[in-house]
Amino acid sequence: MPEKGMLPPVMVYGPGVRIWHWLNALAVVVLGVTGYFIGMPPPSVIGDTSTLYVMGWIRFYHLAFGYVFALLAIMRLWLVFVEGGVTLQLYVPAIWRRDWLDGFIRQIKWNLLMAKPLRYVGLNPLGSVTMLTMFVIPGAVMILTGFAMYAEVAGHDSWQYFLFGWLTMLFGNTLDLHLFHRLAMWVMMWFVMVHVYIAVREDILSRQTVISTMLSGERQFRD
Amino acid sequence: MSQITTPNGFTLDNSGRRVVIDPVTRIEGHLRIEVNVDSGNVIRNAVSVGTMWRGLEPILKGRDPRDAWAFVQRICGVCTGVHALASVRAVEDALGIPIPASANSIRNIMHLALYAHDHLVHFYHLHALDWVDVVSALSASPKATSELAQSISSWPNSSPGYFSDVQKKVKQMVGSGQLGPFRNGYWGHPAYKLPPEANLMAVAHYIEALNFQREIVKIQAVFGGKNPHPMWLVGGVPSAINVHGAGAVGAINIERLNLVADIAERTLAFISQVYIPDLLAIASFYKDWFKLGGGLSSQNLLSYGEFPSIANDTSNHSLMLPRGAILGGDLTHLHEVDLKDPNQVHEFVDHSWYNYPDEKAGLHPWDGVTDMNFRLGPKSRGGKNGERIEEIDEGDKYSYIKAPRWKGHAMEVGPLARLVIAYAAGDKRVKEMVDGTLKKLDLPLTALFSTMGRTAARGLEGLWAAEKLKEEIAGLQANIRSGNTATANTEKWEPKTWPTEAKGAGYSEAPRGALGHWIKIKEGRIDNYQCVVPTTWNASPRDPAGNIGPYEAALLGVPMANPSKPLEILRVVHSFDPCLACATHVIGPDGGLLTEAKIL
Amino acid sequence: MSKHETFYEVIRQRGVSRREFLGFCAVMATMLGIGPKGVATVAHAMETKPRIPVLWLHGLECTCCSESFLRSGHPMASEIITSMISLDYDDTIMAAAGDQAEEIVHDIIRDYRGEYILAVEGNIPLANDGMACIVGGRPFHHQFDEAAEHAKAIIAWGTCASSGCVQAARPNPTQATPVHKLVSHVPVINVPGCPPIAEVMTGVLSYILTYDRLPELDHQLRPKMFYSQRVHDKCYRRAHFDAGQFVEAWDDDGARQGWCLYKMGCRGPTTYNACSSMGWNEGVSFPIKSGHGCIGCSEEGFWDRGPFYERLPDMHQWGIESNADKVAVVGASVLGGAVAVQAGATLVKRILTGKRLKGSADDAADETETPGNKK
Repeated sequence: MPEKGMLPPVMVYGPGVRIWHWLNALAVVVLGVTGYFIGMPPPSVIGDTSTLYVMGWIRFYHLAFGYVFALLAIMRLWLVFVEGGVTLQLYVPAIWRRDWLDGFIRQIKWNLLMAKPLRYVGLNPLGSVTMLTMFVIPGAVMILTGFAMYAEVAGHDSWQYFLFGWLTMLFGNTLDLHLFHRLAMWVMMWFVMVHVYIAVREDILSRQTVISTMLSGERQFRD
Repeated sequence: MSQITTPNGFTLDNSGRRVVIDPVTRIEGHLRIEVNVDSGNVIRNAVSVGTMWRGLEPILKGRDPRDAWAFVQRICGVCTGVHALASVRAVEDALGIPIPASANSIRNIMHLALYAHDHLVHFYHLHALDWVDVVSALSASPKATSELAQSISSWPNSSPGYFSDVQKKVKQMVGSGQLGPFRNGYWGHPAYKLPPEANLMAVAHYIEALNFQREIVKIQAVFGGKNPHPMWLVGGVPSAINVHGAGAVGAINIERLNLVADIAERTLAFISQVYIPDLLAIASFYKDWFKLGGGLSSQNLLSYGEFPSIANDTSNHSLMLPRGAILGGDLTHLHEVDLKDPNQVHEFVDHSWYNYPDEKAGLHPWDGVTDMNFRLGPKSRGGKNGERIEEIDEGDKYSYIKAPRWKGHAMEVGPLARLVIAYAAGDKRVKEMVDGTLKKLDLPLTALFSTMGRTAARGLEGLWAAEKLKEEIAGLQANIRSGNTATANTEKWEPKTWPTEAKGAGYSEAPRGALGHWIKIKEGRIDNYQCVVPTTWNASPRDPAGNIGPYEAALLGVPMANPSKPLEILRVVHSFDPCLACATHVIGPDGGLLTEAKIL
Repeated sequence: MSKHETFYEVIRQRGVSRREFLGFCAVMATMLGIGPKGVATVAHAMETKPRIPVLWLHGLECTCCSESFLRSGHPMASEIITSMISLDYDDTIMAAAGDQAEEIVHDIIRDYRGEYILAVEGNIPLANDGMACIVGGRPFHHQFDEAAEHAKAIIAWGTCASSGCVQAARPNPTQATPVHKLVSHVPVINVPGCPPIAEVMTGVLSYILTYDRLPELDHQLRPKMFYSQRVHDKCYRRAHFDAGQFVEAWDDDGARQGWCLYKMGCRGPTTYNACSSMGWNEGVSFPIKSGHGCIGCSEEGFWDRGPFYERLPDMHQWGIESNADKVAVVGASVLGGAVAVQAGATLVKRILTGKRLKGSADDAADETETPGNKK
């Protein structure tokens, strides 16, 4: 990618990744909010117990979107093969590239207002590492611990227990599953915080579009 | 040494034959007793060895004080709940949390139920086989047994057919050669004195009591959810009361209270119609045991008092069983007891498997240290490289139990101590019960200070508790009637409402005797925690001055018919109702490490 | 006629007819895969088999398991002891003591090699050569090893024997070790709980005697029949949980109506036990029914998952008062702070250099450019 001069818009994200992104965003928000309340329920509701189902619905949406999140995770992996291009960067930072470390340092300097950013078609090196550590890995923890907890309800004969029951063995006490699930939730909330901020900031300050890219798929370079 | 006299007036002579009982069974936990008998098989030296240590102190450190009750409750599952009660009281004392009147009533009800249960189970299942010969029951005539039973009690299960069925059952067991828990018992031992009919009656009641005891503790289950190990709460009790409104079925309601009242009624019937008559019948055949095994009881007795009739009031005006100490057998003077006075309760480790900075000095529980140091003294035999320990050297450290002293004195605690102290304090009902019983058996007051006296005092206290249980349930109903239904004080529930540092002491009287918990709280967490429990007092080893504890003292002078079948030793030791898991968990503040432990 | 009371005699006394007995033997024979011809063999074995001897040893414990066992309503403990098993050794109730007691252990191991059941209450301390628990002048560890070696099966009563319990809580000063970690060749059945429910204990024993097989176990060696469902799933207050009706403080209106104790730290959702379905003390109550949350006493390491009154366990490694949410808030504050600082600094720099906010980033730095992510 030339570092100087105006460039024509580049197609970065295929429609699959774009749809995935926004569905996933929705799932994360719903899961975050409902998950928070499952751990720390809202104030008690007064009324006829048999007609109320507040926690029930919170749990329902959490479980339903848990499945959505898990299916989206599979979809996203599938997209790596279907759409190719930069889609692998979410999972694999290109550390084998000669200039990767330079770019990583440059990006940190840019965030410290000490350098000018470079132009990237996909994720920048810092962004790629952040995605992996604060989204992909915690996301995997969420799916694993989530289904392991689901297996607790579904019982020993369930496929959830067959696939994820070993996690309860790993911890012995399943309270630990809940704990790790919650910790991973907070990591993802931190991620959402940083992700939204950086997206807005980069969109304003950097040399390429960010937010609109995830809508249209095209990245435009401004200088 | 061959013969010495201890400062508290007992003569010890270890020149005779050494007899070892390990494990002592029908107790809670692990205990070893060693004695020396003279040529006439009379015990002249006794050594009480606590042989387990669970080390809860480093475990409790840094935990939430509101959780402490659950941890310390697991010190003992027999007198379940007593440690939890002492613990919540210690935390409430430290943080200044008064509990509501109904919570106080519920705690009293739970604790009284435990007294009734524990004393009953101790008598029939932990102690009776010391007096009752199961095999002799086989030769009893069911008809004569029925006549005997009917002559001493109006209890309905007393037909010849009933006793015949019991006898058949026992015959089957003995005949099968698989005696189960009765295997290798001391059957036919010359120290058994009951006629076959009394033995059969007692065996029948052994089974009946085993079946009935599970009813009594349902009272604890109603308020605490389960037994053993019911639930407690700092600031009150967890069970809310709701007798009038919607959703009452989710709380303590009229049905629950009826259940409790019904059980209390049946408990009183069982104790007054089965336990007490059996106790008197057995005692009348073993009158010589009203002279043996008194030990320290005629001298020093201690009680922290129990059952506040007024919530949060621990004065003797409020306590149904008074607090106090008797020294030198002087029943006319009740000494004041204060758990927080740094000069009253001290623990010594000169003869215990722990280290102190100064081995000769005692430490108040708030400043106690628990630093395990297992070693066998130079005169011990065996025990090297995991071999069996043949003999302990009581001149050196010899027990996992510390030696607690009250103002320097070894003290006996337990039902006998409580009853004598209540007697000395002039409690009308206690006086009536004690005098009445002694009169029936034609014995003087001093007969109380004996093995059988201890056992009798426990029975009388069981009766007292069953009576009080009914009164206390009525008291709870009165509270509810006057709208006083609060069961928890949550003002200081949140740790942010607590001072940075606080310390408190919690008292209780476990069925086995005086129980104290001392806690220090720092920044919302347990900084240190210490318990001095009944069996620590009773099974105490020697202190630096050479004073022996109640077990050791009580065994002196007891004659044995056959030292290899130590029935008499079991009688004496069981009369104290030992609880070794209590005595030897030892919780102290300074994070005792175990690196010092070694076997010499 | 053997001198021992046999299984056949026992069940005949319990009202089972000869016909039913033979039917049972036929089922057993089929299950054992020895076909119709084996019925006579099974029947003969049953008729002549003595009551199964049980050695009930005590390590570091509090005797709550024994006490719970005695609370069983069906069958009653007296029934089990007198006619179902031969409880030959149990320090809590046995008549013999000292040498006579020790002798029983040796005799049973000798006479019933591979045929007796070893029940263990409490666990085995390994620190200091095991001298934190001495039985018969030797470390309990030795007595346990000897009895375990020749047992038909081992029942680990309670959380102590199953997974450690209170004396094994951090930092486990006596190195108290659960039974299954010290046994390799003998089947171990864990029956956790502090204590286990009485009828679960007698249920496990009578299952073994009735069906002459060990119960099906889960990965943690717990009988599936009692430990495969959570307290939460069978809790009678579950409706209040689903409705969103919680006890918010002790003795509040919710507490007085029996609402859900989730917010008071109830461990029902992470505890596998039969409390909420079977109840305690013959169904009289269970902790939640009496207004206190479950503390998870049948779960491994439950002591180290406190405080019991908080939903989230302590995270000691993050500081003495940490839990997941507190750590999260600290993390969020740090990140939020960084974001705010960066945003503020960007703004200040823009204002100082007088540049427009929107547009080229050329002015962000004056450094020479290096080649970047070339495609």
